[in-house]
Amino acid sequence: MAKVLIVDDTAFMRKLLKNILFGAGFDIAGEAENGAQAIELYKKIKPDIVTMDVVMPEMTGIDALKQIKAIDKDAKIVMCTAIGQEKIVKTAIKMGARGYIIKPFQAPKVIEEIKKVIGE
Amino acid sequence: MTEKIHLRTTVKVYDGEWVDAEFRITDDSLFVGKQKIPFKAIEDLENIALEGGSSIQIKKNGDKITIRLPRDLHQQVFRFIAFNLKADKFAVFFLSPATVGGVVSSAGHWEKGYFSVTDEGFWFLSSKKQKRIPIENFGSVKKDLRNVGGKQRTVLVLSHVENSDVVTSLLLCPESTLEMLENYLLELFEKHNPEIDFSEDEMQILMLVYSGLDSVSIENMIGIPTDELNKYYDRLIDAGMAKVVKVRKEIELTPGGVNMVDKLSKK
Repeated sequence: MAKVLIVDDTAFMRKLLKNILFGAGFDIAGEAENGAQAIELYKKIKPDIVTMDVVMPEMTGIDALKQIKAIDKDAKIVMCTAIGQEKIVKTAIKMGARGYIIKPFQAPKVIEEIKKVIGE
Repeated sequence: MTEKIHLRTTVKVYDGEWVDAEFRITDDSLFVGKQKIPFKAIEDLENIALEGGSSIQIKKNGDKITIRLPRDLHQQVFRFIAFNLKADKFAVFFLSPATVGGVVSSAGHWEKGYFSVTDEGFWFLSSKKQKRIPIENFGSVKKDLRNVGGKQRTVLVLSHVENSDVVTSLLLCPESTLEMLENYLLELFEKHNPEIDFSEDEMQILMLVYSGLDSVSIENMIGIPTDELNKYYDRLIDAGMAKVVKVRKEIELTPGGVNMVDKLSKK
C-alpha cells in the first residue's frame, strides 16, 4: 500500500484528499499544513508520494518541492493547483514535480494521477 | 415577388408523435409545414437526442419546435440556423476548449468565426464548429494575457461547464470589442446569476459533491446527521446549484429478516 503525505494549508482540503485517497486504498502516512512541516515530515516518514498544495503560508509548495527534491531527487511530488495556474504548474514540472491535480478535486482524476505517478 | 428557396425537404416534426412536414429555408425564414419562422424570431437552437435519433429543437417566442431532418442535411441545417438566429454576433478568433478541468486541451485550436450571444446562451461559431453554451453553464469572464501565435495578446477567458467539467475558452478580437464584450458578459452574468450567500458548510458540501463523495462520506467528513445534510441539500437544490439524482433508502430488519441473519450466521 503506497504511503502518501498530504500537504495543504486548509484542513478541509487535507480531509477531502485523505478521504479520496484512503477510499482508494492508499495509506495516509502524514499531513502537513505548510512547506516547512512537509520537509520535516518527508525526512521522517519517507512517503511514496506527496500531494503538495502550491499556495501556502510560510513556505510555498514550490519552495517545499525544491527543498524536498534537494533531499531526495527521486521524490514523487504531485502539485495541487487551482484552475488557471498553468504557469505555476509548468514551473513545478520543470523543477521536478511528477504531476498535478486540479482543485476543486474530482476523486477519479485524483486517483488516476496518483496511481500514474506511483506507477501502479 | 417569389422568395428564393435555399433548401426544401421533408422533415419529421415531433408533437407527441412524429409527423411528416415540408421544410423550407428562404433568405430570412424557415418554414415547417405552414408555419413561418423568421430567423430573427429564433431565440435558441439545440441538438437533442430524442427517441433514438438526433433532432433539432428550435425555440421561438417561448415555444419549442422539434424537427428531425434527413441525416445528411442535419448538420448543414443546424449550422445555417445557428449562424442566423436572433443574436448579437461578434467576429472573433476563438479557442474552445482551451482547458478542460484545468488541463490544457489538445482538442481545441484557434478558429476564425463568431462569438454569438443570445438570451439563452453563447455560441462559438465557425464553419466547422457550432458550440452552444447555455447561460446557466457560464461561469466567469476576465481579460488575460496569452501567447497567441508567438505574441502576447490580450484575450477574453470565459469559463463554463461542459459535461460536468470546468472548461475555459479564449476569445481574441480588437481590444475595444474585447472591452465591450467583457462588460456585456459581466452584466448578463450578474443578471442570470444573482449572488447567493452560502454558509461555509454549504460551500464545503458543494465542493464535496463535486469531488464525487457520496452522502455517507459527506456526513462523516462534515460531522453532521442525515437530516441536517438533507436540509443543506434542499438549499443547494432551491438555489439551482444541485439536483436530485437518487433517493437513498434506509432500512431496518423485520423479525423475519433477523431470523434469516440468525440462520445465516449458523451455517
